[in-house]
Amino acid sequence: MDKLDIPQGTLELMILTILSREPLHGYGISQRLASLSHDNFQVNPGSLFPSLYRLEQDGKLKAEWRASENNRNAKYYAITAAGRKQLEQHRRRWDRISFAIASVLEGA
Amino acid sequence: MTLLYRLASMAKWIVGRERAEQRLDDEMRAYLDLSAADKVRDGVPAAEARRLAVIELGGVEQAKERVRAARHGAVLDDIGRDVRHALRLLARQRTFTVVIVLTLALGIGANTAIFSIVDSLVLRTLPVKDPARLVVLVAGPQTTWTNPIWEEIQRRGDLVDGAFAWSRFDAEFNLSRGGETQLVSGVWASANSFTVLGVMPMLGRTFEPADDARGGGPGGPVAVISYAFWQRHFGGARDVVGRALMLDRTPLTIVGVTPREFSGLNPGRMFDVAVPLGAEPLIRGRESRLDRRTSWWLAVMARLKRGQTAEQATAAIRGVQPQIREATLPPGRAERYLSEPLTFQAAATGRSGLRDQYQRPLTVILVVVGLVLLIACANIANLLLARATARGHEWSVRLALGASRGRLARQLLIESLILAALGAAASLVIAQWASDLLVAQLSRDSVFLDLPLDWRMLGVTAVIAVVAALVFGVAPAMRAARGTPIDALKDRGRSNAATGRVSIANGLVLTQVILSMVLLVCAGLFLRTFDKLMHVPLGLDRDRVLITDIDARRADLELQSRLATYERIRERVLRIPGVTSAGLSVIAPLSGALWSRRVEVSGSSRVRTDDVDGPEGFGYTSRPIPDASPLAIFNGISPGWIATYGTPLLAGRDISERDGPESPRVALVNQAFARKFLGGANPVGHTVHPYRDAGSPVIEIVGLVSDSVLRTVREPSLPTVYVPFSQTEDDPKPVPPPEVSLSVRAASTSPAALTKSVAAAVGDINSTLALTSYSLADQLSETLVQERLLAMLSASFGGLALLMAAVGLYGVTSYAVNLRRVEIGIRMALGATRVAVMRLVLARVTLLVGAGIVGGLAIASWASRYVGSLLYGLDPGDPITFAASAATLAVIGAVAGWVPAHRASRLDPTQVLSDM
Repeated sequence: MDKLDIPQGTLELMILTILSREPLHGYGISQRLASLSHDNFQVNPGSLFPSLYRLEQDGKLKAEWRASENNRNAKYYAITAAGRKQLEQHRRRWDRISFAIASVLEGA
Repeated sequence: MTLLYRLASMAKWIVGRERAEQRLDDEMRAYLDLSAADKVRDGVPAAEARRLAVIELGGVEQAKERVRAARHGAVLDDIGRDVRHALRLLARQRTFTVVIVLTLALGIGANTAIFSIVDSLVLRTLPVKDPARLVVLVAGPQTTWTNPIWEEIQRRGDLVDGAFAWSRFDAEFNLSRGGETQLVSGVWASANSFTVLGVMPMLGRTFEPADDARGGGPGGPVAVISYAFWQRHFGGARDVVGRALMLDRTPLTIVGVTPREFSGLNPGRMFDVAVPLGAEPLIRGRESRLDRRTSWWLAVMARLKRGQTAEQATAAIRGVQPQIREATLPPGRAERYLSEPLTFQAAATGRSGLRDQYQRPLTVILVVVGLVLLIACANIANLLLARATARGHEWSVRLALGASRGRLARQLLIESLILAALGAAASLVIAQWASDLLVAQLSRDSVFLDLPLDWRMLGVTAVIAVVAALVFGVAPAMRAARGTPIDALKDRGRSNAATGRVSIANGLVLTQVILSMVLLVCAGLFLRTFDKLMHVPLGLDRDRVLITDIDARRADLELQSRLATYERIRERVLRIPGVTSAGLSVIAPLSGALWSRRVEVSGSSRVRTDDVDGPEGFGYTSRPIPDASPLAIFNGISPGWIATYGTPLLAGRDISERDGPESPRVALVNQAFARKFLGGANPVGHTVHPYRDAGSPVIEIVGLVSDSVLRTVREPSLPTVYVPFSQTEDDPKPVPPPEVSLSVRAASTSPAALTKSVAAAVGDINSTLALTSYSLADQLSETLVQERLLAMLSASFGGLALLMAAVGLYGVTSYAVNLRRVEIGIRMALGATRVAVMRLVLARVTLLVGAGIVGGLAIASWASRYVGSLLYGLDPGDPITFAASAATLAVIGAVAGWVPAHRASRLDPTQVLSDM
């Protein structure tokens, strides 16, 4: 099945949303993204990790090393309070955008 | 908030680099493990699963690099990498690096050293409260005032927010009770000086208004001492306040110490002791200047009221100028007295004789060292260019592999900056050493300049270094950015880039030659000035005279017996073996002092006029004596003085012991006097009459002596009247003067050897006289300090510039020869002679040097006008200097070009052609 490109600027929104439920490691995030998008999105780790590092640098995420489900030591990312605030803002903006797009398409 | 996180994270990245890298690596491995494990679970074989996981990640190193690039501060990483790369490179090419760093250290160090002196003398503001509101009183060129004028201004102190006065020329006080003088520098200051300045004492108190009472305050006369003097003389004792201090044998009470950062009102001069004006008559006794309406010795400063401008204050003081003038009019001359309008001028940087004296020379040297640095930069740029060409291949390859031009240029600039930084660091050592040396050369007196290695100095050094790096780094960087990948594929020796480098290098060398030419002319002008001054006909024997200044102000010596004592001293000194003659004078030659009066001469065609400006009276001034003015220079001398200095008597007779206080007034005059007042006619038999008091006796000219220097070497012939010591009038110095100079003529040419015996002889007559001895030759070289310094500095910097230009010329010629090896080889194979080859190479050199000399001469003839006032005996466009400088440069250029030309002519054609 063809994968979709992740629209510009939405990767961070999706990362924050996924992490707002539970902390995950990088591989876990990419798996979760794939399953939640019904395999429409396949995030390239080459884009995922830079985004994670940026969010961590900006204090939206914090990271912690601990054992994974199969006992591999992995870096788990968790959302911070600042991250939740950003998530809310992004979410509101995204809702407006999708509402607007949907309205345009339906009105046509 | 976010910014803080970023900074913290960047710091973590920089400080814990290893750890962060390790973590990043771990994370990638964890991803691979987890991904591979999933795939194995789905049934993929382990090895294949691993491979798929790596593909998914897009390569471990590539992924890591993307993370690194995405981080904030990634640019810093790049720069860090460039810096490390550059450091490795510079460490590998050690000779290259050392040469550049040393060149820069010299260039920057010289600039910093000169700047620190200029800064301290010219730019630094007074260490007082709100200096922007301080103004100084001037009137045209006039900057000093009499005490009566000051008292009138003081009474009108409400025109401004307080005014104060202090002695413009440093007073010197003697701490000892007799014998060898122990001088401290002092300043007379009105009682409110420290209050108006806003200088708080660090111990005790400063002056109070009561201290200014004539003869001292209620508790007797007081003194405030400086921090430096407190440390030096009292070892910083806390109980110094209340102690007694003997100044010129007058006891004063120390009431306070000024803070360390306050070094006085005259920058460049340390003050040890400040004494209230009111105590002046107590210390100076009969020589007190407080009530003299002709003694101009006080500087006046005022603090503006808040919101008041200097113009408003000026208007206010001009409003009362007629009253001030009226109240202080001296007897006699009137027309021009205080006629120039008074003006308040911003004074935030204080007044300094030292500054006035050295500002222009220092500016000249500042420009000179700036040019030297520029030449050094050109040389370094050439070295970098040569190396850049050597690295051209590397760059072309990097460009071909996708590096951006900006990136390459950045790396080169970073290399330049690192070189500049190393040079700047080394220059700090040189600067410190050089400025100490310079200050020591400036004068032997207590010149005190605060030259700390502070943030200002570091800042200036850094700015100079960065500018230098840009100057010498831009050309190579631009060339790097211009290269093309295709150059990598071509043979380097024939690429356009290499010839392009020659044209840039030619331009740089041309600049160097031009600038060196300018510096050589400058050095030549100052060297010739110094030489001329050293060989000015002094009109007196410089090598045989020892001068001993005798100060009788506080000695146990009755006024009535002074004259007799002086005469006994002279007779006693004459008996010293090795002394052939001795004489006394009011003014010693080259002391810088001037005693001038308006005179009428019988038989002179000059019309009596008051209407010409000129220095009149007694004092230290460098103002010229206008030829139009009726001013003549006076000196009081004893019999034997003329003979002591070996000045020939041309007509009439010398003065003798018979010309006493009661006998008719007589005088000797010099040739300059005869020229000025009598058109060169024999003056013997004419009379001289000083203008001022109608009743003063007429002086008969009894002898004509040849011209000799008096005030400075630059004025070998001032119109001079020598009156007998015993007949000097009560102006400006009372009869007989309390300070005289004893000159003795030695049979040998080492008069300094007589110092001890002369002191002993004077001590035999009166042991309480204060004495200071020096030889005339020493005095002469002391007065030429500035000229010597200028000549020395400009010559060394000119030499340095010449050397660097020669190196540059040699470098660019060698390089060009190298590029044309094949061509030259072919020419020689086809029969060109060695001479023809040399001519080929030298033609280029000649063109470069010739163009440089012409350009340099043009600039020098324009620029030399600005040093005209520092020259003596020659024009700024002195043809000998210009010709000699051009010749020197041509010779050096020929040598620098001949070596590579000679090497080219020795090329072995078969060798060259087989290398092809």
